[in-house]
Amino acid sequence: MLTAALLGNPNVGKTTLFNYLTGSNQYVGNWPGVTVEKKEGFIEDKIKIVDLPGIYALDTYSNEEKISKEFLEKGGVDVIVNIVDASSLNRNLYLTLQLKQFNKPIILVLNMIDVAKSKGIRIDYEKLASKLGVIVIPISASKGIGIEEVKKLLKGGNFFSPLNENHYHYTDDEKENYKFIEEVLAEALVKEKDEGITIGERIDSIVLNKFLAYPLFLFILYIIFKFTFTWVGQPLSDAMDEYVLGGIVSILETLLQNSSHWFASLIIDGIVGGVGAVIVFLPIVMTLFLGISFLEDSGYMARAAFIMDRIMRKIGLSGKAFIPFIIGFGCSVPGIMSARTLESEKDRKLTALLVPLMSCNARLPVYALFASIFFPGNESSITFSLYLLGVAIAILIGILFKNTIFKKDEEPFIIELPEYKMPEIKNLMMNTWEKGKGFLKKAGTIIFSMSVIIWFLSNFNFNGMTDMESSFLAYIGGIIAPVFKPMGYGTWQSSVALLTGLMAKEVVVSTMGVIYGVDLHNLLLQHFTPIAAYSYLVFILLYTPCISVIAVMRKEFGNKMMAFSVLYQLLLAWIASFIVYNVGSLIFG
Amino acid sequence: MSLCDLKPGQYGYIHCIKGDPKLAKRLLALGCIEGTPVKVKLCAPLGDPIVINFRGFDLAIRKNDAKNILLKEA
Repeated sequence: MLTAALLGNPNVGKTTLFNYLTGSNQYVGNWPGVTVEKKEGFIEDKIKIVDLPGIYALDTYSNEEKISKEFLEKGGVDVIVNIVDASSLNRNLYLTLQLKQFNKPIILVLNMIDVAKSKGIRIDYEKLASKLGVIVIPISASKGIGIEEVKKLLKGGNFFSPLNENHYHYTDDEKENYKFIEEVLAEALVKEKDEGITIGERIDSIVLNKFLAYPLFLFILYIIFKFTFTWVGQPLSDAMDEYVLGGIVSILETLLQNSSHWFASLIIDGIVGGVGAVIVFLPIVMTLFLGISFLEDSGYMARAAFIMDRIMRKIGLSGKAFIPFIIGFGCSVPGIMSARTLESEKDRKLTALLVPLMSCNARLPVYALFASIFFPGNESSITFSLYLLGVAIAILIGILFKNTIFKKDEEPFIIELPEYKMPEIKNLMMNTWEKGKGFLKKAGTIIFSMSVIIWFLSNFNFNGMTDMESSFLAYIGGIIAPVFKPMGYGTWQSSVALLTGLMAKEVVVSTMGVIYGVDLHNLLLQHFTPIAAYSYLVFILLYTPCISVIAVMRKEFGNKMMAFSVLYQLLLAWIASFIVYNVGSLIFG
Repeated sequence: MSLCDLKPGQYGYIHCIKGDPKLAKRLLALGCIEGTPVKVKLCAPLGDPIVINFRGFDLAIRKNDAKNILLKEA
């Protein structure tokens, strides 16, 4: 099988070309040791295409560049497919020069020729090919023009012909390299008109306007949230919960009617209950990612990073890190996943550690229950105070981490503001599906085993199957309860709810429902003082995220980071809850 | 004079890049080399970072880093 390496600058349509070439025949994984996505695709099992990260050069030290370089050196690459933006050859060809060092045949794919034409740029393809010693194919990936030629050429395997006739060698002197590029372009390219003010510049004058930028930014976020949590994602989730999951449960109940009680309980309460609770989040995760992909593909995301940079720097991050935090208010899982787009490993890790402090949707039912019982009339301000507390603590922890474990000089921040373009449906769909698949597969396996374990613990003790009150879980709850005594809620029930809350934070509510039964309201009033209740909510807000988050953390960053994130949040929650309870008791008690 | 001294809409020509060697290398690779015309397009709403344009594309860069991009004296 032939191996082709697909390379190019960011924002030149690399992913679109990859999707068109390989269709659904692609696999996403990670490059070993780093959180950079590795995508492989196949053309009819004859050609393997490896989609390398979007880069501007090969030797300026980023992970993406290191990976690409190493792959070109050791990956058994037969041919390099170098995609460039035809309307911005001047900069794009620099990477091409560097690629020539590897002495492999290069197919130079000139993308967006239609855009280049509309900008008055005319390119002499043959001259460009002979000057650079590469094969040149003009395409327009978004319109599907020229893709077949690329495919044909790859399948024919006949790309070895015009090997380096022009013996230009990349030098360490960038001035020389660019001088060469300018010489090539002077012969091969004619620019017929100057554009004047472009549409993109007009959009920027509004989107980046001193007064409009932030309101517009908030409005766009609001729309995405509405889309996810009101219009599309949440209704789909609810429908899935009710009809699909409900249907499966009722079918299983009929099927398992005659099997032993413990087996039916394991399947229905344990596995379907646990795994199902997570799978119903899938539509939310996918719609949220659809919105995010739309922002990314349109070119707006870079602008958002640009206007948020000044603010994010205060906690040691760059503007780009703002996006994962916003997503985190919906669900930490896609929030952490979207940290992938950040440049440095440290930024990705710091962001992933802070994202769970944004109060996600699953915590809302717990706030709602307790606030309505203990603070009637003040529900919304109590809930809002918790959201605010999460943000405030994230800022504090950010500053703390920035000055301790993530100590580093402020890294320079540069980001290209790409031209605006209309995102393509096919790309959006494939991206979204890819994210959804990853969520299902990886989070699914851990959740499956955790569900079984928790089910077992809550239904058994040494004498066999039993009620929850005399189960292992209650026993464990009793053991850990003293830990929570200083915060005002040292009962085994509240401790067990925290344990099961690891499954998903809204499970805290259902666990309390099971333990206290119908008289939940009155019993809670007996077990908690209002201050203890608030301190409990603070703990819920801050403690170890649910297992979906833990699973994603492990998937993205490995065991060590996962353990650290779990432990630091436990400690943080304990301290914060302790302070709230004791200071609160002093003031109000 | 550095890039930071230009107001939005003003042009200059690159002289050299000082400071962080990694950033300098990245900027050089992007074609930000001696003699390249560069324009400051706009400032972020809070005044920092700024958007500069050279070789036909827009790049956002912090003022701190822009200070290290020196321009030729007119």
